[in-house]
Amino acid sequence: MEKPVIEFKNVTKRYKLFKNDKKRLMSVFIKKIKYKEKKAVDDVSFDIMKGEAVAFFGKNGAGKSTILKIITGVTYPTQGSVEVRGRVSALLELTSGFDPELTGRENIFLKGQLMGLKDKEIKALENPIIEFAELGDYIDQPIRTYSSGMKSRLGFAINANIKPEILIVDEALSVGDASFRKKCVKKVNEIMESEGLTLLFVTHSASDAKEFCNRGIVLKNGKLMYDSDIEDAIKKYKELLT
Amino acid sequence: MEIFKIIKEHIAWRHQIFKLAKADIIKTYSGAALGWSWAVIKPSVTIFVFWFAFSVGLRTRGPEGYSFFLWLISGMVAWFYISDMWNQGTGAMRKYSYLITKMKFPISTIPTFVSISKLVIHLGLLAITIVLFMLAGHMPDKYFMQLPFYMLLMFLMATGWALFASVMAAMSKDFWNLVKAFSTAIFWLSGIMWDPYSPAIPYWVKNFLMFNPVTYIVCGYRDSFIYERWFFEQPLLLAIFLGEMIIMWMFAIWAYKKLKEDLPDVL
Repeated sequence: MEKPVIEFKNVTKRYKLFKNDKKRLMSVFIKKIKYKEKKAVDDVSFDIMKGEAVAFFGKNGAGKSTILKIITGVTYPTQGSVEVRGRVSALLELTSGFDPELTGRENIFLKGQLMGLKDKEIKALENPIIEFAELGDYIDQPIRTYSSGMKSRLGFAINANIKPEILIVDEALSVGDASFRKKCVKKVNEIMESEGLTLLFVTHSASDAKEFCNRGIVLKNGKLMYDSDIEDAIKKYKELLT
Repeated sequence: MEIFKIIKEHIAWRHQIFKLAKADIIKTYSGAALGWSWAVIKPSVTIFVFWFAFSVGLRTRGPEGYSFFLWLISGMVAWFYISDMWNQGTGAMRKYSYLITKMKFPISTIPTFVSISKLVIHLGLLAITIVLFMLAGHMPDKYFMQLPFYMLLMFLMATGWALFASVMAAMSKDFWNLVKAFSTAIFWLSGIMWDPYSPAIPYWVKNFLMFNPVTYIVCGYRDSFIYERWFFEQPLLLAIFLGEMIIMWMFAIWAYKKLKEDLPDVL
């Protein structure tokens, strides 16, 4: 039996909220400092196999982004275990992994290098990425001059073209216009078919989710409420919203 | 053991570390109309101000055979790197927070590439210092060979500090402000603008300075440029410095290990 590419076992994530900065610093040295605890993820377990396309549903604050951050390796679970087998290419929030002072082109190289690609490989991908992003001359301007739509387009262009194994898309598609979204949909489907991509998709739009995903996970207040095929998951999510 | 994990990360990511150091240098000096020259202009202005105030104003003399200006720059060249690492090294995690909060990245390498970036600038300033000495008629001699030795010690100590302080500063802005507040004090108390070896300095100050790592490095640079002293002539000072360096790294690894998983949540 093949091992799952993503394994979540009883994952809980707690955030410590301190009254102020000073208390947080003191807590490094003294154990008794009081804090409020917030459970962002509460005992969540699931397995995702290679090639699956899973949509994550939930209101804002349900824990979707936190789970994706844990999968990406940005943050760590407070309890439980996580196994991720494969290169994760994630678009978490719009400025994901960009250096605002460097240009779009320089950021392509930076991202590529950070993902372990050699300069030659990045050079080969440079033009397809620039074309996909449709940024024109702006590609040589610093990222801080970009609009949110531009950042989103560049981010997606890079992530989708850098041969991801696990692609995470966190509501970034919501910022593009209709023609760009169409392009993204086409590209994602392409990679899914040709390279057995595993897709994790966070969205509030049921139609977007149905487009790609065959499975849906519904979260509420950090807890996993429902994990099944996409149609049922959407139904359950809509129920929870009312 | 955490130290092995850190070393492994550094080896695995060594290409990226140098690329990020390069990007850090470019970012620090690009954009401003003066660009690269700013890296030289800023220290030059500082040197000019001190030279003017001390040499012209207070009539401070240099040691036998050397102008006050040469005595000044031979120590200041080390201080510029140390001061950069004290202030900006402490801000390393905050400056590169996007590497911590938006992607999976070996955080322990952030202070390292920032340190390398500052070291490259230091090498440039050091070259200029050597050229200035030559123009004044003092050719490089065998004592100059100690400079890489002191530079290495300075780099290791500063990088250890940056790892410790940048993790702490990321957790607490108060800590960062505290560090910045001490910068001027360290400059004046470490014997950069006055000679710690001078007979006029009281015994208890000399004893205190034995334990000041900044003093050790700055005097080491001056020993190489001017005073013709070998590092092995003062083994006790070297031993103290090495001991302090080990303690610094112990603190750095303790802070890193304890806080590294909290950083993405706090920044």
